[in-house]
Amino acid sequence: MTAATTARRRVGRVVQHALLAIVAIIPLFPLYWLLISALKSPAEFSQIPPTWFPTAPSLDATTTALTAVPFFQSMLNSIIIAGGATISVLVTSILAGYVFAKHRFAGRDLIFWGIIATMFLPPIVTIVPLYYLVSSMGLSDTYLGVMLPWLANAFGIFLMRQFIQDIPDELIEAARMDGAGEFRIVWQFVVPLLKPAIVTLAVFMFVYSWNNFLWPLSILKSEALYPVVLTLNRLMSYTMSFEYQNVVLAGAIIASLPTLLVFLVTQRVFVAGIAASGVKG
Amino acid sequence: MTAVTARTLPETAPPQPTRRPRSKTAKWSALFLSPALIVIGVFTIIPMLMTVWISFNKWSMFTSITDMTFVGLDNYARLLGDASRMQAIANTGIYVGLSVLITIPLALLIALLLYFPKLKGKGIVRTLLFATYVIPTIAIVIIWGNIYAPGYGPLSAMVSAVGLTPPGWLSDPQWALVSLVIFNVWQMLGYYVILLIAGLTQINEELYEAARIDGAGLLRQTWSITIPLLRPSLIFVILMTFVNSIQVFDPIYLLTQGGPANSTNVVGFEIQRSAFQYGMAGDASALAVSLFLMVVAVGGVLGIIMKGRKR
Repeated sequence: MTAATTARRRVGRVVQHALLAIVAIIPLFPLYWLLISALKSPAEFSQIPPTWFPTAPSLDATTTALTAVPFFQSMLNSIIIAGGATISVLVTSILAGYVFAKHRFAGRDLIFWGIIATMFLPPIVTIVPLYYLVSSMGLSDTYLGVMLPWLANAFGIFLMRQFIQDIPDELIEAARMDGAGEFRIVWQFVVPLLKPAIVTLAVFMFVYSWNNFLWPLSILKSEALYPVVLTLNRLMSYTMSFEYQNVVLAGAIIASLPTLLVFLVTQRVFVAGIAASGVKG
Repeated sequence: MTAVTARTLPETAPPQPTRRPRSKTAKWSALFLSPALIVIGVFTIIPMLMTVWISFNKWSMFTSITDMTFVGLDNYARLLGDASRMQAIANTGIYVGLSVLITIPLALLIALLLYFPKLKGKGIVRTLLFATYVIPTIAIVIIWGNIYAPGYGPLSAMVSAVGLTPPGWLSDPQWALVSLVIFNVWQMLGYYVILLIAGLTQINEELYEAARIDGAGLLRQTWSITIPLLRPSLIFVILMTFVNSIQVFDPIYLLTQGGPANSTNVVGFEIQRSAFQYGMAGDASALAVSLFLMVVAVGGVLGIIMKGRKR
C-alpha cells in the first residue's frame, strides 16, 4: 500500500512538472519566435512553412534596424523621460505617503481616498484636455511636456503610505525628541527603511514611462525627441513589406532590452513589492 | 459629515504631550503634500472636469478653445445614433468580458500550480511570466503580428500541420477581436498571477491541514478554502483586468486601426481618433465620459461586493 501511494505521488510530481513546463511555454514561445525571427535572413523569414530554427543566424537585421532609425538618440530620450518621471514620482510619493501614514489632521483620509480614486481613471479619458493644457503651457514637443502629467501618481502614494505605516511611530517620535526636523526624519529615518518599496516603485514607474505610448504620440512632433517606442513605431510603419519584417523584429528586441534588464536585475525585490501592493490593498 | 469631523476631531483626540504642536506639523503636512496634490490636481482632476465640460460643447481641437460653443446633450445624442461608435462600445464590452473570462481562471490555475506543489524551477517560470508585462506593448504587437501572420507565421503553420485551415487571425472580422484578447491575456497574465500568489500566501496553512484530516480532497480544499479566502484578491484582480482592458488603445492603433470592418474598433481608439485625427473634441469627450461612467459603475459594483463579503 505504501508502494502504491509513493508510485501515485511520483506520477503526480511528473504531471505537475509537465504542467509547469507547459506554463513556461506561454511566455517563452513568442519570445523565442522574436529572437529567431530577428536572426533570420529575409529569404528564410518569408519561407512557408516557417523554419523553427534559423539556418544561418545573422545580426544583419539588428545592424539595419540600428542604422535605419536613430535608436541611440531615442534611448537617451527615453532614459531622460522615464528617469525624470521616476525620480519625481519617488520624491512626491515618499513625501505624501509619509504625511498620510504618520501625520494627523482633519480630512486626511478623505484626501487620501480621493487621490486613490484617480488610480482607476484611464488616461485616455482625459487625453483631450491634457493635450490642450500642456500645449497651452507652451510645452508640447518638449521633454518636460512628456513628463509633466506623470510626475506624481496615486499608485506611488498608496504604495509608500502602506510601507511607511509599517514603520513604528516610536521611531519617528524618538527622532523628533532628538530635535530632528520633518525633512531629516524622512530622509534619515524613513527612507533607509523603504528600500524594497523604493526599488518596486522605481522599477514600476520606469517601465510604465518607458512603455507609455499614447501620451508621447499625442504631444510630441519632432523625431529628435521621440522615445524608443515612437521610434520603433516609425520603423514599423515605414516598412510594411515583409522582407524587412526581421528588421522590425530586431527593433522590437532593442526597444525591450532596457526594461527587461531593469526587471531581471531587480526582479526578486520588485515581484515581492508588487505582491505586497496587492495584498495590502 | 466632514465639517463635523473637522470640528470635533481636535477636541476628542487624546492629548499627546510628545507630539509637536499641531500647527507645526500642519505646515509640514501641507508642504509635503503639495507637490503630489498639484500634479494630480492639475493633470488629472482638472482635465477630468474639463472632459465633462467639453462633452457638452462643440469644439474642433484644431481651433482655439474660445471657439467652443455650448450644445447641451447633442454630442451624447449623436453618440447614441452613431452605429460605428456604438459598435466601439459593444466591442469594448466583448473585449473586456473575454479578457476577464480567460484571464481569471487561467491566472488562478497557474497561481495554484506555482504556489502549492514544491516544484523545481517555479521561481524561473514566475519571472518569465512576469517578464511579458515589462515589454513595451508595441514590441509585443510586433511579435504577435508575426505569430498571427498568414502563411509564414507559426500559428497558422501549426494549425495547418494538424490539417485545419487557419483563420485570418487579424484580417477576419470574426477572429480579429479574439486575437487581440489572446494578445492582451498573454501580456498581462504574469502580473495577475503574482497578485494571486500574494493572496494565496495570506491563507493560513493550518486550514488545509484540518481539511486533510477531515478527509477533504484537493478539489474540495480548493473549492471550500482557497476560493472563498482568496475572494478579496480575486475581486482585486478582476478589477485590475477590467480597468486595464477597458482602456485598450496601443494594439488597436498599431495593428488593426479598428478594422477589419470596424470589428476591433474600441472606445479608447475611437476617442483618440475622433480627437486627434478628426479634431472632434466634443464627440471624443462624450465618449470619454461614457467610458468613465462604465469604469465607475463596474468599479462600484466590485467595490460593494468586496466590502459586502468582508462582513
